[in-house]
Formats: sequence, C-alpha cells, structure tokens
Amino acid sequence: MAKTIIKTVDLRKTYMQGKIPVEALREVNLEVKEGEFLSVLGPSGSGKSTLLNLIGALDKPTGGKLFIENIDVSALNDNQLADLRMKIGFVFQFFNLIPRFTARENVELPMSIAGLSKGERRKRAEELLQMVGLASRMNHKPTELSGGEQQRVAIARALANNPRFLLMDEPTGNIDSKNAYEIIRLVKRLNEDKGVTIIMVTHDQQLATEAKRIVYMLDGMIVRETVN
Amino acid sequence: MRIIDVFSYAFSAIKLRKLRAGLTTLGVVIGIAAIVALLSITQGLQVAISAQLQRGFATDTLIVTAGGGLGGVNEFNLLVKDAQTIKEMDNVTASIAVIQRICYIRMPNGQTRRVTVTGVDFAAYREIYSSAFAAEEGEIPLNPEDDAIVIGKQVSNPWGNGTILCRTGDTLEILWTNTTARPLRNETYVGRVAAVLREIGGFTIGGPSDNRIYIPISKAQSFFGTETCEMIIVKLRNDDRATIDSAAKAIKEALGGRVSVTSSTAILNIISSVFSTVELFLAGIAAISLLVAGIGIMNIMIVSVMERTREIGILKALGMKNHQVLLIFLCEAAIIGLLGTLIGIGAGWSLAQIVLRIFGSSDRVGIIRQGNQAGVSNGITITPVLTPTVILGALVFGLTVTMVFALYPAWKASKLKPVDALRYE
Repeated sequence: MAKTIIKTVDLRKTYMQGKIPVEALREVNLEVKEGEFLSVLGPSGSGKSTLLNLIGALDKPTGGKLFIENIDVSALNDNQLADLRMKIGFVFQFFNLIPRFTARENVELPMSIAGLSKGERRKRAEELLQMVGLASRMNHKPTELSGGEQQRVAIARALANNPRFLLMDEPTGNIDSKNAYEIIRLVKRLNEDKGVTIIMVTHDQQLATEAKRIVYMLDGMIVRETVN
Repeated sequence: MRIIDVFSYAFSAIKLRKLRAGLTTLGVVIGIAAIVALLSITQGLQVAISAQLQRGFATDTLIVTAGGGLGGVNEFNLLVKDAQTIKEMDNVTASIAVIQRICYIRMPNGQTRRVTVTGVDFAAYREIYSSAFAAEEGEIPLNPEDDAIVIGKQVSNPWGNGTILCRTGDTLEILWTNTTARPLRNETYVGRVAAVLREIGGFTIGGPSDNRIYIPISKAQSFFGTETCEMIIVKLRNDDRATIDSAAKAIKEALGGRVSVTSSTAILNIISSVFSTVELFLAGIAAISLLVAGIGIMNIMIVSVMERTREIGILKALGMKNHQVLLIFLCEAAIIGLLGTLIGIGAGWSLAQIVLRIFGSSDRVGIIRQGNQAGVSNGITITPVLTPTVILGALVFGLTVTMVFALYPAWKASKLKPVDALRYE
C-alpha cells in the first residue's frame, strides 16, 4: 500500500469578493497516495483551482485541515510555506516563465532559490530539458518558443528540485491540440516511468480521462470519483 | 539562495530596463557629484587659505594695537618702548614694535612706486616669522648696518615675469612726506638692499608680506620722527589657549586697557569655523538633490514592483522566501546606488577640477589690496581636495539614501501573497 502524500479534511476556502463572501471550497475531503496520477475535473468556478492553490501552499485555507506528508499546512508560517513550495512542482496554464531568462535559466531558477551551485544547476537543467525533448532549444528565450515548448520548459522547471508531487493547473489550456497531446504523453511518462505523483486540474473531459483516477468537482465540493 | 545568485538576479532585472535604470542612476550621480564637487572645492579653498594664513600667522603670537582692534582709531598711542614692557611679562618670549608708513620708493631705474615701509627689529621679527621672513637673495642682517633694508619679492619683481626692478646691493630711495611738520617736509631715506624675501603669498596680519620694505626699527623711529608704533607683535611661550588668554589679559591691563589684543589662533579659528559653516551649508544644498534622486528611486521601484508582481508570484511559487524577495529588490537599488555614487564621485571630482581651472587661477581669487595692517600680496591658487572621508561619506550617504527609499517598495514586494501575485495581470 502506497503511503498517503496529501490529505484534506473538511477543507474550506472562503473569499471575500468585495463585501460578499464566496465559498470556493466547502468541506473537501481528498486523499492522494504516492505515485498516483489524479485529475480534478469540473467547470470553471467549481473550486478546482482553489483546491490546487491550497495543496500547492500558494494560499491558506479558511477552515478544515490540509496535511502534506503528515504536516499540518495550516499551522505553517510564511517561511515554512516557502520551504514547502520548494518541494512542490507547479505547472501553470500560462506557463509563467521569466521572459528575460533562457529556457535553461528558467529551469535553473528554482535550484538557484534552493541554493544549488551554478555547476550543479546547469547540469541538472540540461538533463531535465533533454528529458522533455528541448535539448536543442536550451538557450532560447520563452518568446522564441512555441506554447508547447514553453510548457515543457515549465514542466522541467517544476521537476528541478525533485518535488514530492506535481500540480498542474490546466496545463494544456493554452496549447493547440497536437502539442497538448505531446504534453500529456510527457506527463504520463513521468508518472509511469519515474513514479512522479501528479495532480492535474482541467475542465477538458477527454484530457481528464488520461489520468488513473478522476475527481469531479462542482460548487466547491467533490461530487464524484472514478478510477480508470 | 546564494548571495551571488541574488546579485545576478537583481542585475538581470536592471539590465532589462537599461534606460530607466540609467536615468535613475543619473539622479544619484548628479546628487553625489554636486556634494563631492562642492566639498572638494570648499576644502581645497580652506586648505589653500589656511596654508597661506599659517605662513603669515604664527599661532603663538598676539598682535597688540591701539584702540578698538585692527585698524581702529588711534586716540591712544602705542609706544615703541611698550614692546619692552611686554617683553618682560610672563609667557612672553619676544615682543617687537612695528612702525608702518606708506611711502614712495625710487627704484634704481628712476621709477617710483608706492609701498608700505615697515620698521621692525630684524632679529626678533625673524624669530617670530622664521619661514616667511626669510631671504631668497642676500641675507637678512641681524645686526643691521645703518642703511640696510630688506624688500619683499613683489617690490623686486612686481609682475612676476622676470622684470627685476631692483636686487641685492641696489640702492633705493624712500620718499616720505612728513605731514605733521609745518610746512610739510619731504624726507628721503637712502637704503641699500641687503636681502630680497622669498615669495610669501596670501594673507598676513602683522607678518611679512611680499610688497613691503623693511627697515630697522631704530631707523624707522628717527626717519619718521616718532616714538609711537602701529602694533606690537608678541610671541608667546606656546599656543595653549590658557597661555594666550592670560597673556592677552595681562598685556591689556599693563597698557591701561586701551589696546586691543588679537590672537592669531583666534583669527584662524574664526576663519575655519566660517568655512565649516559654508561647507555644511553647501553640502546641505547638494544633499537635497540627492534626496530628490532618492524619491525618484522610490518612484521607479514602486512602478517596478507593480510591473513585476507576476514575476514575484512565480518566484514565491518556486519557494522563494519573503526576505529573499526583499533582498533582491534592495540589491537592485544597491547596484544603482553604488554605480551612481561611484560615477558621482568621479564626476564631482572632475567638476571641481574644471570649476577651479576656470575660476580658480591666482589672479581671480581673493585679491585684497594691501591695507595698513592686513594685506594680501598675491592671490592664491586653489586645488580641489578630495579626502578619504569625503569619498567614504559620499559612498555611505549615496547608498543609504538609495536603500532607504528602496526599502518601502522592496518590503511591499516581499509581502505580496503568491496566489494574488500570480493572478495579477
């Protein structure tokens, strides 16, 4: 039995939109085991991105508990959250690469934050870019890369610090279908060959079915779960 | 995160906005350059003037004049023999009377010039002003023969261009109109030049000057037919404040309180304190321009933080801590501040050189023509002075101003919530 890596207990998140409270998450209970490939499917506004932001320690819950590797995340301070984020790989819909850096420098960035030496960073960045199939595009800046290529750089960056799990927020939302297919193949390969735990948020039914397990969300709650 | 990486990250952000960073730096450059230029000019001026003063001033001397201070109205007559009285007082090592008259002299070539003729005891005068009352040519006679005279450099070589009007061994005629005799009488004193003084330059109060002629005091007394003198120069055992004060008091009492006693040290102190005030005032004005530059930095950085909100979100999502974000922004400001300050120091120094080259030549600065007691024979040449203190001060000040004004925007950046920052468009 694989060990539980993420566990939420009655997780809540309420935003204030002006003066009106908006319940983005209400009592979400989810458990993710090591090595899983989970997709969270739901229409926009269902709370799936909010859930991902909470798991990624980018935001703080307003109620309930969130455990990552048995650590209660809601009890952590800013510095501890930053340390936690370093162990989580995040892939965004809009890639969020630093435009002035080359692909390699972008992949090096999280390792630079982690305090690795220039030599180590460079070597690992090159390995990762090779793995995502961008060995020949390493010294290109994001503006010189296609959407699919940029997202592959972002995946390489997310993997840089050997994260416990990978969070993907609509990873193919901004990419044409052919490249989207390439991305999803890469993600599956990471999960199957390298054993990387992956949680992917999407509103694309077809994409979601690529995962081993699908969680359906609606109005801030998990309404259904299927296993492929 | 390693400090070198923080630095190179900050540097990459600056490089991206070269024009903006350049203009921000320019603000710092101008502020620092203004401070450095003003300080090095005023310090140069101060050094030049005090060097001149110190030559004509001996710090351990007092100058006794009749009445109310230098050049005051003489109702009371200071007598030559008063010098002897003062000499016997405590703490006094020498005391000499000085008689001064404006006369005409006839040069060997027949030309006449107006000069101040000063009667002093050569030996004692030499003792007090050993560096200034020194011969360049000939020798100052310590027991002067009857007709020996000593002339200032400008008397011999008035234009400084090699035209020598008289030299050692020449005979000069001193023409003086006795206005107290009825009818007025023209007197002539024939003197032989025993020595030409080396160039002194600058101010002097009581001390030797380039455009005077010196004759022995006894000769002055008989030639000018007087027992009174214009001033008595008193040399003290040392230049301690206590010594100066007590001697000044004693002299005043001894002469019935009708003299004024001026200490060279006091004059020097007044002059240097005036300079310090001027310097502080000018530096203050220059500092304001640096403050303006600081506000510019703050403005630019606030805009920069706003523009880079998303980038800050990415950095935080990748695990960067608040203090590291703060450090990156402060580092950007520090690079601009350091660069601006270093260029500013160089620019200020060059500016000072240029300004002084244009305005600081010796015939434009500080000419006060000879008066009765104080006189300037030459202008003074000023070279800017850049002390390590000014360099260090400029560095510290420049960096501090930049950092202080960068602190708020950097702090604001560091406090951004990652999820909000990432959502920022």
